[in-house]
Amino acid sequence: MIIVRNLSKSFGSITALKEVSLEIRKGEFYGLLGPNGAGKTTFINILSSVVSADSGSIFVDGEEMDMHTTEIKKKIGVVPQEIALYEDLSAHDNLLFWGKNYGIPAAELKQNVEQLLHITSLENRKNDKVAHFSGGMKRRLNLACALVHKPDIVFMDEPTVGIDPQSRNKIYDILQNLQKEGITTIYTTHYMEEAEKLCNRIGIIDHGQIIAEGTLQQLRKMDQSTESISIQFEKLMGEQKKELVEVFGETTIVNGDTCVISTYQLDLKLAEIISKIDRIGLNITNIDFKKKSLETLFLNLTGKKLRE
Amino acid sequence: MINIAIKDLKIFLTDKKAVLLSFLLPIGLISLFAVAFGGAFKNDTQRPTDLMLADEDSTASSIALRQKLDSMKGLNIIPVNKDEGITRVESGKSKGVLVISKGFGKAVSSNVNPPLHLYYDPAREMEIGILQQALIPTLMEYVNIESAKQAVKRDISKNFQLNEEIMAGIYAKVEEFFASREGSSASKSMDILELTPVIKNKKASWGLIQAVAGVAVMMILFSVAAIGSSVLEEKESGTLKRLLITPVKRHGILLGKLLVALILSTIQLIIMFVFTWLVFGLNILIDIPSLLVMIFSTAFACSGFGVLLAAISQSRKQVESLSVIIILVMSALGGSMVPLFIMPAFMQKIAIFSVNYWSINGFYDIYWRELPFNEVFLNAFVLIGIGLVLTIISSLLFKRNVLKVS
Ligand SMILES: Nc1ncnc2c1ncn2[C@@H]1O[C@H](COP(=O)(O)OP(=O)(O)OP(=O)(O)O)[C@@H](O)[C@H]1O
Ligand SMILES: [Mg+2]
Repeated sequence: MIIVRNLSKSFGSITALKEVSLEIRKGEFYGLLGPNGAGKTTFINILSSVVSADSGSIFVDGEEMDMHTTEIKKKIGVVPQEIALYEDLSAHDNLLFWGKNYGIPAAELKQNVEQLLHITSLENRKNDKVAHFSGGMKRRLNLACALVHKPDIVFMDEPTVGIDPQSRNKIYDILQNLQKEGITTIYTTHYMEEAEKLCNRIGIIDHGQIIAEGTLQQLRKMDQSTESISIQFEKLMGEQKKELVEVFGETTIVNGDTCVISTYQLDLKLAEIISKIDRIGLNITNIDFKKKSLETLFLNLTGKKLRE
Repeated sequence: MINIAIKDLKIFLTDKKAVLLSFLLPIGLISLFAVAFGGAFKNDTQRPTDLMLADEDSTASSIALRQKLDSMKGLNIIPVNKDEGITRVESGKSKGVLVISKGFGKAVSSNVNPPLHLYYDPAREMEIGILQQALIPTLMEYVNIESAKQAVKRDISKNFQLNEEIMAGIYAKVEEFFASREGSSASKSMDILELTPVIKNKKASWGLIQAVAGVAVMMILFSVAAIGSSVLEEKESGTLKRLLITPVKRHGILLGKLLVALILSTIQLIIMFVFTWLVFGLNILIDIPSLLVMIFSTAFACSGFGVLLAAISQSRKQVESLSVIIILVMSALGGSMVPLFIMPAFMQKIAIFSVNYWSINGFYDIYWRELPFNEVFLNAFVLIGIGLVLTIISSLLFKRNVLKVS
């Protein structure tokens, strides 16, 4: 559906994007994960034809996109990173204005506006000036304005920054619904949990380059670090503790009645671990997995933390 | 308290441009106004002014007077006939016409008050006043000396029978004598020159027209500048970027702003004129079509100016300071603040590059000179032209300056 080839962009001496190539399939929810200054916004800006690339090409539905293709523009909705609304207009009027720019028939537009006000829970504040809205309400409206013309493709640039968990969950609900409707989405974020929760496929971007790409599982596999399982026993005697370390190796940590076992490819070795414990003759009361997160992958790939 | 003052001073000093502006701008404006208005109150010699002269007498005396006036520094005599001259004054093309009526030569030789008329445009009273001050001593001197000379000559020729040659010699000596007396003019009486204002109706005062037209244009410029700056506000708030994402055409954004400026300034102008009509009695009903055309063309030219301001600026702050400077200068030069006619001639020539000039001139044409629609339309035509040119320049610059968002 969207094919990006060798996209590059520099601002003076700063290289914001370097030979970025991507393919996004129809209905896919693609996450672009990267720290501040990675080039996410630049990428979205180029895709939404606001900024022109230095080189490279973009195809949407097989058609090459340039700055003036109105037909392609009509299929796309963009949620900008900054809140871009008319503060002196009401929520309703903002939605109406943005919808009108897409030339949607009045009756249909009216329906879309009401629906979006409902979805974003802004119905009872729809006639209030946006200036009086809370940060979370503005974020939701900012999102709604990108959907008012019912686009097939949505680009979202960090649509949840700076809002409370409640508003954030509200937005997740909306996004998951979009996903069900089969809308193709590119979603940038620097929140790991978001990417893990929402996206089918994730690209990790740093210094303008995609340094890793794949589904969550694929990315996890790329992570060479170990995973661990934390097992709580009924009662651990001194002998048994020694035995556990002997069986599971030096990295095993025993603390009170709890034992943390670290290993590569935990998923494959889990059965083996359980049977070994069984052989020692211990009773398990609780098990906790410490899965690998994108955080550690990111750390491994770039040598730095995502949020720094 | 002191801490706040120090902080604000620090912030102020960080903006080098603003610092420079706040000190240089007043100096620049003072100089500009000094040049614009200063010349008007100094002696007139630096500033040749045109005066139409209709000589209906055509005697040796009237011709001599004409030569004398012509030789005056700073006065440029344009010969016309009386009717033509008065028509030109009526239509605002000239400030006045000096008419030497029939019988001037005779009156001079018989030492009675000679028939000298100045028909003038009362809208340019101040200018005429200055002209009068320069003119009257010369006229007085000429008439007095000429009368005396003629009297002496008459007496000599009456009382002595002399041959032509001797007579000519004596006349030459008389001339020489009187020539040496020039400059020491005798008693001054202002009533040597009869002043007749040329106006059709006496209802509208030019001061009122100046007030409404001058203020109207300046205020409209300020309000369109605000609309222009809203483009940059949109740029700063991110809505411009969002607009660029939509299928809206890029020039559509600029034209949208132009349209809103046009609509609002048209309404503002209508309100201003209706107010002046209701409260100060400016009879706007005498020519509604001309008024509407002038209002619309003024609004259009101003709107073009508004979008140009937006297009040449990088930020809202810049538009705001830039617009104040440009509007003040343009309004001063274009005759919004002070009537144009008291400015030096070269300043008046510069004025034609301002929106204010054509607009104010148009309103004078309607209410003061009461010109027909086609003549008023000339101003409107120029204004629409200015508006078009500004819009085209703006849309070119707009793409370069404003639409660069990231
Ligand atoms: N208009 C511009 N002029 C100069 N440099 C720019 C411009 N826009 C972006 N950059 C630079 O390009 C790089 C990528 O910026 P971009 O905004 O795309 O990052 P981002 O991933 O969106 O970051 P964030 O998470 O902070 O939003 C940065 O180094 C930034 O400073
Ligand atoms: Mg960004």
